[in-house]
This record gives sequence, structure tokens and C-alpha cells, in this order.
Amino acid sequence: MPAIAAQSASASDGGPEKGRAIYEKRCSWCHGIDGAGDGPAAEFLNPPPRDLTFGLYKWKSTPFDEYSPSDEDFEKMIAGDGSHAGISGWDGMSGTSMPGWKDVMGPEGIRHMAAYMRSLSGLGKAEMPAISLAGKIRPGPESIERGRVLFKDRCAECHGLDGRGDGTKKLRDDWGARTWPRDLTKGWTFRAGSGPEDVYTRVTVGIPGTQMPSFADPSSKKAMTEEERWDVANYAASLDEPSRRPVPETVVKALKVEGGLPLTHSDKLWDSAPEANYFLFPQIIAGEKAFTPSLDSISVKAAHNGNEIAFLLEWNDPTNSMPWDPKAVEVADGPLFPDGAAIQFPAGEVKGGRPYFGMGDGRKPVEIWHWRSPEDQSGKEAFGVLEAKGFERISRKTVSEKAGFEASGVYENGRWRVVFKGPLNYENGPAFEEGAFTPIAFALWDGSNGDEKGKHVMTGWEWAKLEKEAPGPSYMWPLAVGGFALAAELLWLFLRKGMKD
Amino acid sequence: MRLLKFILINLFFYALLKMPGLLAGKPIPSSVITMYMFFIIVTVLLVMTITDEGAEDLFAPARSLLEDPSKAFARNVLFAVLPIVAALSVYYLAAEPAPPFELRSAHPAPPGAVRAYGKVYELDGLENPLRSIEKEDPAAFKEMVREGGEVYFRNCLFCHGAKLDGRGHYAHAMDPLPMPFTGSDTIAQLKESYLFWRIVKGGPGLPREGGPNISSMPAWEDELTEEEVWKVILFLYDYTGNRPRSWKD
Repeated sequence: MPAIAAQSASASDGGPEKGRAIYEKRCSWCHGIDGAGDGPAAEFLNPPPRDLTFGLYKWKSTPFDEYSPSDEDFEKMIAGDGSHAGISGWDGMSGTSMPGWKDVMGPEGIRHMAAYMRSLSGLGKAEMPAISLAGKIRPGPESIERGRVLFKDRCAECHGLDGRGDGTKKLRDDWGARTWPRDLTKGWTFRAGSGPEDVYTRVTVGIPGTQMPSFADPSSKKAMTEEERWDVANYAASLDEPSRRPVPETVVKALKVEGGLPLTHSDKLWDSAPEANYFLFPQIIAGEKAFTPSLDSISVKAAHNGNEIAFLLEWNDPTNSMPWDPKAVEVADGPLFPDGAAIQFPAGEVKGGRPYFGMGDGRKPVEIWHWRSPEDQSGKEAFGVLEAKGFERISRKTVSEKAGFEASGVYENGRWRVVFKGPLNYENGPAFEEGAFTPIAFALWDGSNGDEKGKHVMTGWEWAKLEKEAPGPSYMWPLAVGGFALAAELLWLFLRKGMKD
Repeated sequence: MRLLKFILINLFFYALLKMPGLLAGKPIPSSVITMYMFFIIVTVLLVMTITDEGAEDLFAPARSLLEDPSKAFARNVLFAVLPIVAALSVYYLAAEPAPPFELRSAHPAPPGAVRAYGKVYELDGLENPLRSIEKEDPAAFKEMVREGGEVYFRNCLFCHGAKLDGRGHYAHAMDPLPMPFTGSDTIAQLKESYLFWRIVKGGPGLPREGGPNISSMPAWEDELTEEEVWKVILFLYDYTGNRPRSWKD
């Protein structure tokens, strides 16, 4: 490797020296003053900032046996590539803390930066062109089906059977940092695009510095032909679930149903409940902070029957965090804790504004329904109702069995599905009222990622609304208003006629 | 056509309100847009009907539609459509009511004094004690800015971003969004004492109109020293090329 890396850097265009000035001002904070990926911010970031002295780049479209990324690759990784941006307002590489620098550096500055980056590792210009996409196979059902079979054999070991990144292998990059295989159902998190062409490029080139190999490398036991790589790319791209990408201003709408509420995620009732998706951010506000979260979004459904309310929380988690499962222990990053989920409401009625979203305060407490995955093989899940007046003043409420609180979760192929159930009305509980909005917030713990107590991911206050009637909004008011408009028209006609006469 | 002009002007303002959401991914809540549009339409109407001729012009098409015998067909269509539109809009309003919106002031008025680090800071007249070094010893000042940068990138980066544009890699999950420091309309409009208050007391220290219950800004007095706070303030201005407002302005 060093032999290739020692290629002359003299061929690079632009001025590495001009790039150096920009680098020191903009990049050194994360990538380090010498480019070794060890800036002051480095230890708080996941994935860690690139060590630029190695000359290994994940974003690469040149063949596996070409060491250097293309000029275009360099420009895209620095500038950010808005064309696939899946998160509104974020212009950089998805799933990382690297922003897009196009607006700050301009095209010329980006070329200088690329030249300086090459000079840090002595990386020359790519001699081979980017791989060809000319053999593209249309992502039709046949190709996707062929890809599905290939995926099971070549990819599922790391990416999981359903592609949720839940393969049970402990992966590290060339620097020893922990890496998690991509959750292929979240296209908006793909660093270099999630279309079939983008995935084909990753499959063909590999992701340098990680354990994602090039499947075009004939020396690999798992090598695939060009057609096979297109098939598998088409299949992988088809796993994307864009409907689960969170959008702003989403409300949890609790479906009104007759009869009992289910405690299982597989109940048919959930099919008709609308889904709300939210982004999660790590708890970096107070106490012990979570700087390297592993969970980034949650899907929520809800239903009520006038007496009780049930929530179905679903989220992708690469590990089940079950301490009796030897694989879970092996894959865990440090000590293994159970996974967990919590729903937060204002305690009692909301008067003059919501409580502080970070577990309330002395003046305005919050109510928390907290579930934890089983700690031992007995499979017993933990559930508790908590009252919090700030994160340091949490007390467990004693709720009688009759109250009807329950929670139960199932982990399958990289996804937790947990149903919470509780009464609509109880002392100091959330003030649910049909047709009205109730503040609601969510938190998740990934025990395999060291999440425990204050170390977790969360949302801010969102809104839940209890639907009034099962079949949807009433027709009475629209008819009344329509009729009123008609009456006004007729009155006008009548008056006009009267004036003419 | 004065009526056309009226419609175009209102559409222009509507597009303006929609712009932050469509271009920058920072949507203005729909309930706020509705409220603003109400005032905009009323204002434009007032301005355009300030003279009698103007009002006459504006309403002429409507009047002719209602009275001109040659437009009987259009009138009948309007009559049929109007009640249906009214009924449908009520139907959709009832189906998708907007959640309550908490009006929030991004830059609420600061308190007179701040209690932190075992002291009481009178904000009126409070200066950054490190600012004077800028002229006295530029090399030492540069070093302080660098140290402030390290504080920033170890604590603030996640929300306020590597470009200091308020778009850190977790910002998209937060509402309200973290504050940007770039541009001439952010910290350039504020005194350093204001930033000191905001950093030291964080979200929970906001007055009620600032939305203390929803701000994710930590109260940094528990984690940063007084000197670190003043240094990070130096960095925020230096990196973005802004100058703080001074008490002499």
C-alpha cells in the first residue's frame, strides 16, 4: 500500500498551498492540523473524521485496483452533493458531521482543497477512469428477484436478512474504529447516493478502509459478474423505505377503535393507523451525554378506544442487546445494557405552555412510560411509569395492576416493534381529550451502543391527537357551511331581484 | 388589471413565506403562514383601495361578473361552485387541524443581570474582558480565538455546525432549529454580553417568550468556565467575520 501511496503529488492541479490556508481555518478542527483525523472534535464524532494522511476515501468511483478517487469524487466529497440530499437543510455527507463546503469555498477553493488533500497523503491523480455504468440493467422485478437471491448469499451476513444492517459481525475500519454496516432501508442516510447506480458503484468499487469489499475483484471468493452486481444493486436500492423518512410537522394521530386494544405489533388494527416518523438526536444537553448515537429515527402509530390508548413504536436497531445471546455480547460495543424506549407526556393538564422537553422541571413535571428489553433469558420485559421533575428528579410511580399499563416488544431482523398500552385517564397522567392535541416526546436506548440512563437518543416535543370518530371527520359542518353559502347566495339573488323591481 | 395585480402581489408574499421551507429546509409553520397571509391580504387591500378610483378599478371585474347580463353563465357556475368550495374547505380543515403553535421570540430581551459562577453580572455595559487583547497583543489574541474554536468544536459543533450556520449534524432533529452565527443579521446585531447570557444560561434561562421549554440549548455554566465562554464568543465573531455591537454604538 505505501508503495502506491508514494505516487508523485506533483501532478495535482490547483495550489496545495492555497488549500492549506483554507484547510487550517475550516477543516483542521475535525481532521487535525496535520490531517491525521485527530482534531479537537474527533473524539466526539461517529463516524470519526477521515485520517487524510492515509489516502483512503470511502467516496470513490474508480475501479478497486485504482488507488485514487477521481477528481469528481474529491469535489463531491468536499462540496457535498445536494442531488441525493435526503435530510432537509443538510448539504453534506449523510450520516456524518461533514457539511457541504460549496457555499463557503466555491468551486475554485474546492479544487485547491482537493489538491491539498492529495498532498497530505502523497496521492496522485487517478490513472483509470471511473467505472462504467453503461451495462445498467433496468430495476425490473426479474432483476430485483435475482438480486434478492444474491443478496442473501453475499450481503446478508453483514447487512442482515432484511438489509437493516443487523448482520451479527463486529466490524472495524482500517484505523480500528467501530463501523456498522449500512441500514439499506434508510436511503436518506447513504453517503454517496441511494439510487441503483450509486449502489452499483459501491458494490463494484467497495468502500476503501472498511470491510465492504469490491465484488468486482476476481480474487474475492464472493466476486460477482457485472450483471450480478447490477441485480444486487437493484435489489438493495429497492429496500429503501422512503415513507419512513421523517418529515417536519408530523402529528401522531391515534385511531379511534371499538373494543379492546392489541398488545401485539402484528395485529391487523395497526395497518389502518397512520404512521408518524421522527428524527432522533442524542442527549447532549445535560449529565452524561451520548455523542455517538446508533439510532436515528423512530416510527409511531397509535390507537385508542375512549378508555385506553396504545402506541406502536418501531425502530431499526442493528442488535437485539440480549445479554444471553452470545452474538449480541460479541457485537456489543463495550458493556451490554438492555434496549429501551420511553414516551413522555406533560403530567396533568397543560396550562400556559408545555413543560421543559428534557424531562420537565420542578414547576411542571412530566410523565414517562418506560419500557426495557429483557435482561435475562426469562424474557421478562420491564415497564414502569415515572414522574420526572428534571433529569435528576425521577421517581417511579406505583400503578396497580388493574390500571392497565402494559408494554411488550419483539425484535426481528434488525427492527424493534414495541407496543405500549395505558389508561387514557389516571392521576397526574397526560391530559388526553378526543379531538385535542397532546404534547408527546420519545426516547430510545441502544444497549449495545452503551446507551444507559441519560445516554440515549430522543425527540423534542411533538404532538399526538386523538381521533374522534372511527371513520374520519364528520360531514355535518361541511354540509352546514355549504348550505349556509347557498342560502346567502339565494338571499342575495332575492334582494337583487327586489331592487330591480 | 388591478385585480390581477392584487392577486399577484399576494402570491408573491405567499411564495416569500414558503421559500425558507422549499429552499433551505426551514419551513415556517403553516399556522404562522396563515396568520401572516391574513394581515398581508388585508394590508394590500387597504393600500389598493386607498383612493375611490382604485377601489372602483379593483372591484370592477367582480361587479361586472355579478351584474353584467352577458356573464350570466359564469355567474351561474360561480353560484354552483361556491357552496361546494366552502363545504370542502371546512371538510379538509376539520380533517387536518394544525397543532397549536407556540409563538417564540428568537432574540428575547435579556435580563438586567445574570447570576453565574458565584457572581452577579450586570449585563448593561458588560464587555468581553478578553476583547481588549485584540489590539494590545494580536498574537495572544489569535491564540485565544483558536482556544475558543476548540471549545466550539468540542461542545457546539453538533447543533450549530462546522460552518457555524446553525446546521450541525443533529440540527435537523431539533425544533426550534439551532441559531446560525453566519451572515450580518445574526451575532453582528448583538453585544457580546448578550451571547454570554445565552451561552451561560442556555434554553432553560430564556424568558417565557423565548420558549425555554423547547430550546435544546444547554446551560453551559455547568460545563464551561467563564474564560472558555468568553473565548468561544471571540471565536464566533472571528470565524464568521462579524463584529459585535459595542455599548458605544
